[in-house]
Amino acid sequence: MSASTIIFYIVSALVLVFGAMSVFTRKIFRAAIYLLFSLIGIAGIYILMNMDFIAALQVLIYVGGIIVLIIFSIFLTHQAGDKLPKPLFKRIVAGASMAAFGLIVVLGVFYKTAFKVTTEAGIDHSARSIGRQMLDYHHHGYVYPFEIVSFLLLAALVGCIVIAVKIQKK
Amino acid sequence: MINESIIIMRFEWLISLMIVVLFILNLMGVDKKPERFMNIVNVMLIINFVAGFIPIKDGYLFQGFYHTTALIVLEKNILNLGLLLIAFSAKQWIIESKRPAEFFMLMFSSVLGMYVMLSSGHILVLYLGLELSSLPLAALAAFNTDSRKSSEAGVKYILSSAFSTGITLFGISLLYGAVGNLGFDAIIQHIHEDALTLTAFVFILAGFSFKMSIVPFHMWTADVFEGAPTPVTNYLAVVSKGSVIFIFITVLYTVFGKLENAWLLAISVLSVMSMTVGNIFALRQQNLKRFLAFSSIAQVGFVLVGIAGASNMGTDSVVYFLVIYLLSNIALFSIVEAISDETGKVTISDYKGLYKSNPFYAIIFTVALFSLAGVPPTAGFFGKLFLLTSGMGSGMYVLLGFATINLVLSLYTYLRVVKAMFIDKEEERMPIIKKSLLTNFVLAVCLIGIIVLGFAGVFYQYIDSISSQL
Repeated sequence: MSASTIIFYIVSALVLVFGAMSVFTRKIFRAAIYLLFSLIGIAGIYILMNMDFIAALQVLIYVGGIIVLIIFSIFLTHQAGDKLPKPLFKRIVAGASMAAFGLIVVLGVFYKTAFKVTTEAGIDHSARSIGRQMLDYHHHGYVYPFEIVSFLLLAALVGCIVIAVKIQKK
Repeated sequence: MINESIIIMRFEWLISLMIVVLFILNLMGVDKKPERFMNIVNVMLIINFVAGFIPIKDGYLFQGFYHTTALIVLEKNILNLGLLLIAFSAKQWIIESKRPAEFFMLMFSSVLGMYVMLSSGHILVLYLGLELSSLPLAALAAFNTDSRKSSEAGVKYILSSAFSTGITLFGISLLYGAVGNLGFDAIIQHIHEDALTLTAFVFILAGFSFKMSIVPFHMWTADVFEGAPTPVTNYLAVVSKGSVIFIFITVLYTVFGKLENAWLLAISVLSVMSMTVGNIFALRQQNLKRFLAFSSIAQVGFVLVGIAGASNMGTDSVVYFLVIYLLSNIALFSIVEAISDETGKVTISDYKGLYKSNPFYAIIFTVALFSLAGVPPTAGFFGKLFLLTSGMGSGMYVLLGFATINLVLSLYTYLRVVKAMFIDKEEERMPIIKKSLLTNFVLAVCLIGIIVLGFAGVFYQYIDSISSQL
């Protein structure tokens, strides 16, 4: 077992443990913090795969942006320190059995499938080439999806304003 | 290259341009005078609708991310028609909402997403289009910030939408693992039936089912339909659902075409559940918007019968039926809207004696309901007939049996409302609704469409001729 394999298992274990803790904790603020660690772990997995740029984005967007947003909105609800109510036993059983079922199905399918190792050469994953691909419309560039995303963000901004801004009715 | 992309992507360019124009108008303060603003928007919508009929040749762009065919152009035109009619019928409500520019920005963004989705040749683009078409709708559902129900509708829509998106994405990543590429052409070449692909398909199907509100993924539908402002409900029921069904057929027939043996059973089971649950629950509803929500669930069940046919006729009958479904539902929702704006009444018992107070509305409401139920002189009958004929091709006779039983059941469901309007004695007289010109125009278009489309075989032949080229 090589060093990178061992590191992979350690990081994956961290991701899974923190992910589980974020689901099972009954304090909502802690859930957000556990999620933060889980997301940092995923950035670690990207680094192991040599995807430095994606790892940086993961930290920047998820850890720096989304988690901060989640924490903000938790504070805005005034109930940051409160414990969530204990879930009903019925629901624990139902949820656990559904999750177990899903896990068994997916694991079973993965176990049965012989995944092919790709024969294609690895792509150039430097930030420079990713940036070029984003704005390229000739060589399988992603300029079209890129522009759709910009419209999506625009629509999301307008949507937020619509929901958040109160208007004075006469 | 540049010229070509402008011509082929004309629909997308035009609607993007309209979004930009809305921003400029907003900056100039034109939307402070809603009447004038609405006139400008309506003119833009008419231009958009008319421009849709200028022929476009088939073509690919961006190395297959984008493609267009005559059928896709027709589908976009159908969505345009829906958008136009809904905007016309909602004029009064939009003026009173005080924020017309934002309303149309969100609505146009959503339509742009649908175009992108319909023209996608790659699952990445399909997914982005799906998101772009549904995210603005969450804000639109919560547009009425004074109403708790509207906010609740927005939250329910965004949560169920995010959940279904998560499921779809998981399915897509599994598909990527199985095939190694996400372009439609590559998937069609490399896909074959194994456990991983089937699991991926099930997850993607579940995601689509959420958006089309197929039983058992329909939980959000009634609450969102009830809480959202009526024009938004109309849009959700007609344009949004229609666009997802269009792309669903394409994905099912082409991308997953090789898995037909596997999905036929799944589609049939979903179809039977949707029809039955939709009809039975519609019987119990008092609120008309909830009633129409369950009716739309049942209608999607019928659409699935047609899809199960898995032939050209499947595409033809579904596209044909969706036009009729669009016209009938827009007529129904426009009347519900006109009446609830004026009087605030939305329950079936409020509609008792509508024929005596507002005969024009009562008659159109009845024709539209007959069309949904599939009663002969209306086009709805031919729509249902073609769907069932297409379903015969699947050889699933049990499915057809259930569909027939549900046709009878739905007749009772719809006639309950007709009976309330024509026969039942009213408890308090409904005031005479003052007729807005645009709403009447919309109703007239729907009425003519519902009746004429049934006899104009030309339209069905046209759909058949362009779908058989694919």
